[in-house]
Amino acid sequence: MTKFSKDTFEKSRRSFLIGSIGGGLMMAFAPSINALEVASGGAVKQLTDKLFSPTVWFEIDTNGMILVNIARAEMGQHVGTAIARIVADELGADWQNVEIKHVDTDPKWGYMVTGGSWSVFQTYVPMSQAGAAGRTALIEAGAKLLGVNPQDCKTENSMVVAGNKSVSFADVVKNGKIDRVFSADELAKFQPKNPESRQLIAKPSKALDIPAKTNGSAKYGIDVELENMVYARPIIPPTRHGCVVRSVDDSAAKKVKGYQGYKILKDPSDTVQGWVSVLADSYYGAVKAGNALQVDYDLGETANVSEQDIIAVGETLAKDKTSGTLVVDEGNVAKAAESAKTSLESIYRTSSVLHFALEPVNAAVEIIDGVCHVHCGNQWQSLFLPVVAKAMGMAEDKIIIHQYYLGGGFGRRLMGDYMIPAALTAQAIGKPVKLVFTREDDSRFDSVRSPSVQQMNAYWDADEKLLGIEHGAAAGWPTLAVAPGFMPEGVDKKGKYDPFSISGANHWYTLENHRVRAINNPLAQKTFVPGFLRAVGPGWTGWAVESFMDEIAHKQNVDPIDFRLSLLDASGKNAGASPVSVGGAKRLAKVLAEIREKADWGRTLPKNQGLGIAISAGQERDMPTWGACVAHVEVDPETGAVKVHKLTGLLDCGTVVHPDGALSQTEGSMLWGMSLALFEGTAFEKGQVKDNNLNTYTPLRMNNLPILDINFVQNTEFPTGLGEPGLIAVAPAIANAIFNAVGARVRDLPIRPKAILAAMPT
Amino acid sequence: MIEFLLNGKKITSDAEADTPLLWVIRDEFGLKGTKFGCGIAMCGACTVHLNGSPVRSCSLPVSVVANADIRTIEGLEDQHPLQKAWIEHQVPQCGYCQSGQIMQASALLATNANPSEDEIVAYMSGNLCRCMTYSRIKAAIQDVATQSDSVVQIYNPKTEAKRTQGVS
Repeated sequence: MTKFSKDTFEKSRRSFLIGSIGGGLMMAFAPSINALEVASGGAVKQLTDKLFSPTVWFEIDTNGMILVNIARAEMGQHVGTAIARIVADELGADWQNVEIKHVDTDPKWGYMVTGGSWSVFQTYVPMSQAGAAGRTALIEAGAKLLGVNPQDCKTENSMVVAGNKSVSFADVVKNGKIDRVFSADELAKFQPKNPESRQLIAKPSKALDIPAKTNGSAKYGIDVELENMVYARPIIPPTRHGCVVRSVDDSAAKKVKGYQGYKILKDPSDTVQGWVSVLADSYYGAVKAGNALQVDYDLGETANVSEQDIIAVGETLAKDKTSGTLVVDEGNVAKAAESAKTSLESIYRTSSVLHFALEPVNAAVEIIDGVCHVHCGNQWQSLFLPVVAKAMGMAEDKIIIHQYYLGGGFGRRLMGDYMIPAALTAQAIGKPVKLVFTREDDSRFDSVRSPSVQQMNAYWDADEKLLGIEHGAAAGWPTLAVAPGFMPEGVDKKGKYDPFSISGANHWYTLENHRVRAINNPLAQKTFVPGFLRAVGPGWTGWAVESFMDEIAHKQNVDPIDFRLSLLDASGKNAGASPVSVGGAKRLAKVLAEIREKADWGRTLPKNQGLGIAISAGQERDMPTWGACVAHVEVDPETGAVKVHKLTGLLDCGTVVHPDGALSQTEGSMLWGMSLALFEGTAFEKGQVKDNNLNTYTPLRMNNLPILDINFVQNTEFPTGLGEPGLIAVAPAIANAIFNAVGARVRDLPIRPKAILAAMPT
Repeated sequence: MIEFLLNGKKITSDAEADTPLLWVIRDEFGLKGTKFGCGIAMCGACTVHLNGSPVRSCSLPVSVVANADIRTIEGLEDQHPLQKAWIEHQVPQCGYCQSGQIMQASALLATNANPSEDEIVAYMSGNLCRCMTYSRIKAAIQDVATQSDSVVQIYNPKTEAKRTQGVS
């Protein structure tokens, strides 16, 4: 299996093929294993025989239209626009002539996953090189047509230009014969254009997917219709694992018009255990019949688990300094603890959180000539295609997942578990099936962000010098649940850990003694499938790290920004590395210093108002997006209600490839951060989440909107990720602001008014 | 058999009387722009116009709309100024809620061409956007409201007086 890593693409070495095919010009990466054969066979032959194995490819037709094929999921981040602009800028294309297409799971696309804020980061170099190779080939052919030397040519606005002579890409494609192979070495020599000569990257642009999203024509998974399909709705059993259907009584369901019976699903992949699907000739019929159906179960062992049970397990584990796997072990924390004159211990907790993507999960499936076609929007096709194959008892090459727009991803659709009941139902009835979860079904089947417990300890010597910090973080682990093979070993070699559930704890502050333990909460793991939720690990480890840094600063009577700056010295491992994390913690310090000015830090505010600061470094240490947030809040001391007046955000993600897309992602991610801080949280009750719909689950709405002041550091460094990082610093910034407003230190997410009142100094 | 106008066209449906209008629109007549979000009238993704007023079609039995005039996002035919403003302000992210947002906002502007910020917030807070594009939704509505302001002022007696002066 291909390794699930954001480095997957960059490390592969492929040649690049450019050839005139069927009137057009096709450009594609060759399979790396096949480089020699490609060179001998020629690009045109390989491309004609469809022997290429690109991750992304593009083509130019005789009208000069450039089609860029996108293997990434579109879930609101306008990823196709960003990737196409990288290619088009290098090609020297007229942006008006560029189109994108989201593709299915043909193996030629390579490993398909969209998450981790990786897309631009991963594709920047290869797509720049692909575009540069295309430009070179177009110039060579264009120069011939113009009767000039290729060295005297450049491309701009989809033209090959030499002095006052020019020929359009369309005419080059029509009249030139191109058959060109760039070896992996040749390709590697192409450096992305220097920033001054960029025409598209970092320039204002409109997203290609937006017009269809303003007139109802954008097609999502839920909009798929298959000929002769039957509608289905699943009956979610009371526990995620271990339920067995004892009996089904459908006597009441039979009274529903259009009811077509039910199927008890047998799933060899064990994704769905104890599931029944209800069939009808309309979706509403399936919903009604589902409500009328009586299913009797043998329950799984977690049928009585509560949120508090899970938290209690986490607290015990976090407290036990021998539990978990060491992820950071700098200096000697145990010694620091022993020699400490004073210390501070704080426990931070976060509640279960739902993804609540507005399009309930769904899939439409049909089996044609022994091939299973799955239609849905998904973020991690390469992980779930084999699961579908296993569930169906079919070979992997007989499964195709067709991609659509995602009505929200946020990590929910990294899990493709919702494809399984649809596929099994289609197989069981021998007809195409469209299975749609109701909102309540979707919530009960969500892979929630696990409740978490983090214990933080800080130690000082007799001279009040900070000696070190110890951090234990216990939660359910998504990677353990769905891709355990991707878990690395801890620094103490005591076991493996989920890197996505601890990232953020390995921060950029320089500490002499620093220890981080990643701890799996086994009860969480048993009760539900822990999910990846926007910003994943840093989304909740940052809560503890940045709240605790504030607590330490206040304990030392130092300004929280001054305190943070004193630890951001970019020494040792925090120096960063070229090109991606060049500058290291210095860039974080710069962001912090700039936001201090921007937010007018230190000014006097009216009573019960406060500013709070927190910083973040993106999703992973080797792909840092340097960020900070200042929250301006007001607390009602009578009710504990919090009003967020303003969120100031500053991010350094290197080159901002698609500036408006970046701003829009950050507006969304910062408001997600605020929503998770103040408005969102559910709890397990009898083995399932208790909030299933908007009557009790209450994400942020327009009436909660604060002023947003978001800026990006302008530089030309390597582009990193932006889909998630804006979220991370918001909750701790709000909590730190609440402390500055009314002196209440809150340590549980979401922050409830009651907790603020309880923490108010008397 | 229920008869009603769907985007100006007379149609008949033999769906069960309690079937939510949403499924009739989507699955019987194939207009997929109206979305299913929560099913309990609390997210607004399914918003359509019933005789010009915004309603949540997920919770509205089709029997209620007999002989009524129903308009969906498709019925705006890409001509509504809000649709242009939505592109200008690059409002949608995932886009799933945006048909409902536009239908809700167009109902607002139809009855209140120049709403205050508070009026916009009050009117739009029933529509959830999970991507949280709220500040752009607000800006796009304000933009169109400002444009329509001039239209309104043509019929404003004061402005009319000025115009008359100019002509004479």
